[in-house]
Amino acid sequence: MPPSRFRAGSPLQPLLLAAGFLLLIGISAATLWLVDRSAADARMVAHTLQVQDKLSNLLLSVRRAESSQRGYLFVDNESYLTEYNEARPEAERQLQELREITQDNPARQRTLERVGETMAAKFAEMDRTIALSRAGQREEARSLVLSDVGRDLMTSLRTQIEQTITNENALFEQRSEQSRRNGWLLVLLCLAGAVLVALIGGLSVLLMQRNVRAREAARQELAVTNANLERIVEYRTADLTEANEEIQRFAYIVSHDLRSPLVNIMGFTAELEALRKDLFAQVESLSGQASAAAADTSDETALERLGKDFDEAIGFIKTSIGKMDRLINAVLKLSREGRRQFHPERIDMNEMLTSIVRSVAHRAAELGATVTVAGLPPVESDRLAIEQVFSNLIDNALKYGRPGVPGQVEIAGRSTPAHVVYDVRDNGRGIDPQDHQRVFELFRRSGPQDRPGEGIGLAHVRALVRRLGGTMSLTSELGRGAVFTVTLPRRWSGETRSAETRSAA
Amino acid sequence: MNNHFAEQPVDIVMIEDDEGHARLIEKNIRRAGVNNRIIPFTNGTEAVDFLFGPDSTGMVNKGRPLLILLDLNLPDMTGVDILGRVKRNEHLKRIPVVVLTTTDDAVEIQRCYDLGCNVYITKPVDYENFANAIRQLGLFFSVIQVPSPN
Repeated sequence: MPPSRFRAGSPLQPLLLAAGFLLLIGISAATLWLVDRSAADARMVAHTLQVQDKLSNLLLSVRRAESSQRGYLFVDNESYLTEYNEARPEAERQLQELREITQDNPARQRTLERVGETMAAKFAEMDRTIALSRAGQREEARSLVLSDVGRDLMTSLRTQIEQTITNENALFEQRSEQSRRNGWLLVLLCLAGAVLVALIGGLSVLLMQRNVRAREAARQELAVTNANLERIVEYRTADLTEANEEIQRFAYIVSHDLRSPLVNIMGFTAELEALRKDLFAQVESLSGQASAAAADTSDETALERLGKDFDEAIGFIKTSIGKMDRLINAVLKLSREGRRQFHPERIDMNEMLTSIVRSVAHRAAELGATVTVAGLPPVESDRLAIEQVFSNLIDNALKYGRPGVPGQVEIAGRSTPAHVVYDVRDNGRGIDPQDHQRVFELFRRSGPQDRPGEGIGLAHVRALVRRLGGTMSLTSELGRGAVFTVTLPRRWSGETRSAETRSAA
Repeated sequence: MNNHFAEQPVDIVMIEDDEGHARLIEKNIRRAGVNNRIIPFTNGTEAVDFLFGPDSTGMVNKGRPLLILLDLNLPDMTGVDILGRVKRNEHLKRIPVVVLTTTDDAVEIQRCYDLGCNVYITKPVDYENFANAIRQLGLFFSVIQVPSPN
């Protein structure tokens, strides 16, 4: 699975998502704006109609006033003026209203100004005729009407209003057109948005499917790899287990079978020693007879020399046998330890270490050494194995002190979530860092070989700690003491590390 | 043993593949004052032939006072097989069998006793103990009661 396909797919998807959201927001905003605009357009259209309506009404009111005035002049009856008196304030009120609703339009205001002036002139003319008529000067009134001043004013007013209505019409047309355009735009925008959203959605789905497919493929590949890995680990573990068992068996057989000839060597060496007594007694009695004749003592010293050589040879054989015996026993013991079944139990480490320290108290007192045990966390493990581990470590710490320095051995501990860690710290002669691995090997020792030992203890300790599922480490410098750190699982279960070696037992 | 069975002394059948061991065992038994005849075998086949006879029934040794000193590690068969066959045989099953071997495996020891072994002794590794043990075994032989032939 090329990982690049993941990288190509993954950043595009949020990008698409963001684009989709942005688009939706844009469409929504545009729609809102357009709807708002439509509403405004509708208002404007309504306004235009209202203005037109009011203008028509104004003209009608003035006409009503004029016809009422003509009627009055004609019949000279006050009752004809009722209409006039009503229409006049009506017209003024209408004009005022028109002024108010067209406040936003200065051109319209100016037009209305002129309309107002013309209207006022018309009303002034009409008022004068009425006043003349009332005063009985009907002829003058008639001539004033006939002078066509009123008619001209009326015509002018009508023209002005009609002109304005026409203008408003044009404006109306224009606004309607814009409203229609806006409506179209809205529809188009919605359609385009829908198409785009669908497009992005489709693309996202496509990408997601590709991603899902890629992920599925990767998952399968991973599963296969995992399975392979597990199989490899299984094989390796089986190999290691087999090799380990082989070594255990080998160690056992070797040590076991080496003991047999050793018994013979020791046995017949002892026989030889017994023979020596008889042999030399025999030789002595023979030479005694000879020396009685020769009275010479030189033979006796030669015999003594022979005896010494004989003893020396036997001595070397016996020492070597003894050493070999100890080594073979050590190997046997290690191989037997490797096969012993562990029985995990909860161990109070403070109690155990205190009892170990008590058992070495006599030796520590002889060496002038002090051993301290401080708050150790408990562990669940095999009691015997743990006891052997710490007995060995404390034994070593006491054994390899620095001459002239009173020994100080400290056993401290701490716990981590899964493990417990114990430090055995001494102020002894220390171990050269280049020997740090060597000291854990069987029959290997470090530093001056001035202490008894076969180089078995630490090998045994490490083997035990490993079987307990733990690790051993060493921090030390020459002349600066040493710290042996034992890390053990809080709970030992058969699963850890060498469950297989047990089954080999 | 000759004290107890003067009329028919007990013979010791020693099955031990290591001739050195055999010799050391013999010497140390003698040192304990045991003078019975020792019939040594260095492999399993010859020992089985002797014990069971040419017809393999064991009739040949019926009623003959014997004591078997048996090593488990033999070149041609394991001593455990011989032990099992002896203890299953109608005529030989009452012969005391002393297993004297280097194996100290607990499972092996159990198996031998299950099969009817009478005494199981691990050969001590160092010679002093070995000689000592054999001498004590010799003393043991001089007081042991072997079942009467009839």
